[in-house]
Amino acid sequence: MSIMEYNGGSVIAMVGKECVAIASDLRLGNQALGISSNFQKIFPMTDRIYLGLPGLATDVTTLRDTFRYRLNMYKIKEEREIEPETFAHLVSSTLYERRFGPWFIEPVMAGLEKTPSGAYKPFIAATDLIGCINFAKDFVVAGTASSKLFGVAEGLWEPDLEPEDLFETCAQTLLNAVDRDAYSGWGAEVYLITKDKVIKRTLKGRMD
Amino acid sequence: MFLTRSEYDRGVNTFSPEGRLFQVEYAIEAIKLGSTTIGVRTPEGVVLGVEKRVQSPLLEASSIEKIMEIDRHLGCAMSGLTADARTMIDHARVTAQNHAFTYDERIKVESVTQAVCDLALRFGESVHDEDALMSRPFGVALLIAGIDENGPQLFHTDPSGTFVRYDAKAIGSGSEAAQSELQDKWHKQMSLQEAQILTLRVLKQVMEEKLDHHNVQLAQVTPDKGFEIINEVRLKEIIDLM
Amino acid sequence: MPDGSFAHSQQRSFNPYTDNGGTILAIAGADFTVIAGDTRQSEGYSIQTRYAPKVFRLTDRAVLAVNGFAADGNMFVKKVKQRLEWYRHAHAKDMPLRAIARLIQTMLYAQRFFPYYVYNILGGIEEDGTGAVYSFDPVGSYEREACRAAGAAQSLVQPFLDNQIYFKNQTAAPGQSHPTHLPLPDVLAIVIDSFTSATERHIEVGDGLEIYVVVAKGRSPQGLDTMRGVQEMSARPDGDRMFVIRRDLKKD
Repeated sequence: MSIMEYNGGSVIAMVGKECVAIASDLRLGNQALGISSNFQKIFPMTDRIYLGLPGLATDVTTLRDTFRYRLNMYKIKEEREIEPETFAHLVSSTLYERRFGPWFIEPVMAGLEKTPSGAYKPFIAATDLIGCINFAKDFVVAGTASSKLFGVAEGLWEPDLEPEDLFETCAQTLLNAVDRDAYSGWGAEVYLITKDKVIKRTLKGRMD
Repeated sequence: MFLTRSEYDRGVNTFSPEGRLFQVEYAIEAIKLGSTTIGVRTPEGVVLGVEKRVQSPLLEASSIEKIMEIDRHLGCAMSGLTADARTMIDHARVTAQNHAFTYDERIKVESVTQAVCDLALRFGESVHDEDALMSRPFGVALLIAGIDENGPQLFHTDPSGTFVRYDAKAIGSGSEAAQSELQDKWHKQMSLQEAQILTLRVLKQVMEEKLDHHNVQLAQVTPDKGFEIINEVRLKEIIDLM
Repeated sequence: MPDGSFAHSQQRSFNPYTDNGGTILAIAGADFTVIAGDTRQSEGYSIQTRYAPKVFRLTDRAVLAVNGFAADGNMFVKKVKQRLEWYRHAHAKDMPLRAIARLIQTMLYAQRFFPYYVYNILGGIEEDGTGAVYSFDPVGSYEREACRAAGAAQSLVQPFLDNQIYFKNQTAAPGQSHPTHLPLPDVLAIVIDSFTSATERHIEVGDGLEIYVVVAKGRSPQGLDTMRGVQEMSARPDGDRMFVIRRDLKKD
């Protein structure tokens, strides 16, 4: 049994035109037994960065707090908000600290990066459980439904999607992938991040 | 008799110098001692009719069974040594069920007939050193009625394992007279009821006793209801229509 | 041992099965069926060949796709074809699709305790002229469906098909409903997209794509007959028609 299957759960992030989306399911399980249909796996790190933490539920909570602590320290020292790419490296080094006794989490992050010109550039990344970063240009996936997410996303995603189209693509990808995964599902939530607002939508899904 | 057919009468599988298998020929003769059995095919279905010889007033006529079901869409009537037909019908039933099991479809009438005929010449046959399963030819002829994708059909099989398709066929003791009567009266667009009445009329002509619902049995195969033996109440009604 | 000493116990094992990768897929339309498979055959990280067909024509109206252990698959197809020939001799007709489906079940279950390590998908035209797909597990459990993916990239392709064929998680506009069957050009587009996606994300899928299309007798091939690179292999022009479309997939 994979440790990812102990509590289950999946996350996906996608790039659109001047926007990003990140979505997760809401299931918490104990192997095959469903425990909760309201277990959040995506957390805001800054106003423009969201982090998804699929994996072992105890580590989800611990890492969420760890990152809150480290981001607060960063903000105090630097007197500014962290940029997404920097944050990705923070995630990476935090996980690599536990190279030989890792956190059982495969983080996925999405955000908007401030460019020197003042415009915002979409950013997504994911790492494995010891912090190896994958800077993808299209989409990143993680969790127990990852192979399904890859298949659907590869079929549905296209470049330069407008915010609402990106939302639909991301939501459809997640919903259809988790419906074929016994360890993910039980509802979902999608964060759509644009330069002037973040929209969070909670989706109904199959409850089986 | 003894002089003319002498040695070639012994081995069941021995050809005579004229190229004949006497035991098979005798078996075919045996059919002609059996009670008359008739089959009539129409576009609406196939009708089978048999004469039941009630030899004693103490005999339960309903216990004489000369028409049997092979499958829902297949029926069979016999004449001759009816006990031999058990083996054949058993085989036909197993073949039909096996086909349905393996292919999820109803076996064709011709295929089940072929399967029965495959048995016919197995007499005297032995595998390696084992004893033969059957010592002599079957002494029975069958009329196999059924419906498949080719529509209603009627087949006749004899102890030589030959099978032929008929529009109408009579076998048994009264078969010669019955067959010529069928030839006169059968026509292509016959209704099922006409076929029932024709079957009964022909049986009546060749029977020694007076025909009634005790000494004949009627069955039919139709697309809707498949094989069914016509019960005595309905049989009586049809007899009244004659 | 002969000198009186004891030999160390040894354990030997022989694994009679290999997973040769690849993926197959079939989708039924109202009056046609599409059955497709990639042509890569691999063992571990090695590609044994870039062209090993996994989709086979059985009759004028039946096509079988076989995925899993290639040796078992090829032998199984050979045996099914043999049984089809025997059936033709015994019953003077081609075996109908649902009969082939049942036959495959009995043949697979006959090997219940030393199974053919293969996932089968049977596609074609039913007796009533409708398109049909039957999918099997290695020991003969089967089901008629509108679409099915199997093999290495099943987990990638099947949820995509749920969404695009069954319209799962999609709500029709008010007063409207989703179609139960898609037209052939849409189905072909979905099949090709499925395989390019699977090729992109799965190392065991790629090299070539073979798509069989069976169109029911008297029904329009919906422009397929004039499509580029389409090979027609119908037994008769007035019966059910069969076509093969071959496409390249990425070789990396």
